[in-house]
Amino acid sequence: MTSFKFLSCFKCLAVAAGVAAVTGVGFLYSGLYPMGADDHHNDLTYWALETLRERSIARASNDIEVPTDLNSSERLLAGGADYNDMCTGCHLKPGKTESDFTLGLYPAPPNLTLTGDRHGHEHAGDTDNDDEAIKRQFWIIKHGIKASGMPAWGPGHDDQRIWNMVAFLQRLPELSPQQYQILTARGADDAGHH
Amino acid sequence: MKRQSLSYFVALPALLLALSAQAHDPKEHMKEAQAPDCAAMKDMDHSKMDMKDPVMQAMMKKCMKAMHKDEEGSHEAHGDKGHTDHGNHDEKSDEKKPAKHQHKK
Repeated sequence: MTSFKFLSCFKCLAVAAGVAAVTGVGFLYSGLYPMGADDHHNDLTYWALETLRERSIARASNDIEVPTDLNSSERLLAGGADYNDMCTGCHLKPGKTESDFTLGLYPAPPNLTLTGDRHGHEHAGDTDNDDEAIKRQFWIIKHGIKASGMPAWGPGHDDQRIWNMVAFLQRLPELSPQQYQILTARGADDAGHH
Repeated sequence: MKRQSLSYFVALPALLLALSAQAHDPKEHMKEAQAPDCAAMKDMDHSKMDMKDPVMQAMMKKCMKAMHKDEEGSHEAHGDKGHTDHGNHDEKSDEKKPAKHQHKK
């Protein structure tokens, strides 16, 4: 009798799983889900995707070793010039509050001229400038994030060059537009930092 | 014929590899390179400047480089004109120096 009940319950679960799978695949093929970047996810989808992303990055970046000389002027100069060339379109610079990319990308790229708790992304919690946030930044710059507009810079940039950018990011929120200009200007023949 | 197609197989990936390596060379950005606006340092609040701060040190390094470049440029310009006014030049460049790098500490 008990085994009969178990069997029928197992059958029910199998049927339910089958129906769910068929419904899910049907939904995928229906084309009903809005894919435009200007049509935002519902809260549940956003939470699920954000949790997936943050858990994945936290796990993958866990073993990264942070260099001890991250707060050096040489790293700031080298990283600043690269940040200015490669990141400002999406992540802005002091004195700028928006760009076509910040308006159009979804999810919107964080404004890195603001500290983590001010740029509206709560993912790293209150971990500004601590090891976890630094490892996270390094990993994201190196590997990028799928379907977000953030490319992987690792294939064209060695680890030292990426650490230089991470070093610059630690000081970026406190820079004035004038300080930023001086630190990031490459000058006429300033290629020697890399 | 075989050798020719083999050379394509070798040359094409080598070319693509070379181009991808160049794609992120900092020299690529030299075309739009801006000079650092070191004159802006004069307007900054010098009482808040900490010379031990890496940001401050980085700015100083950048502006020292820019100043040396300016000096070299003016030396060359004077060299083109001839050596007749060389004596005056040193005086003038010494006058210029503090204006860019003066810091009240």
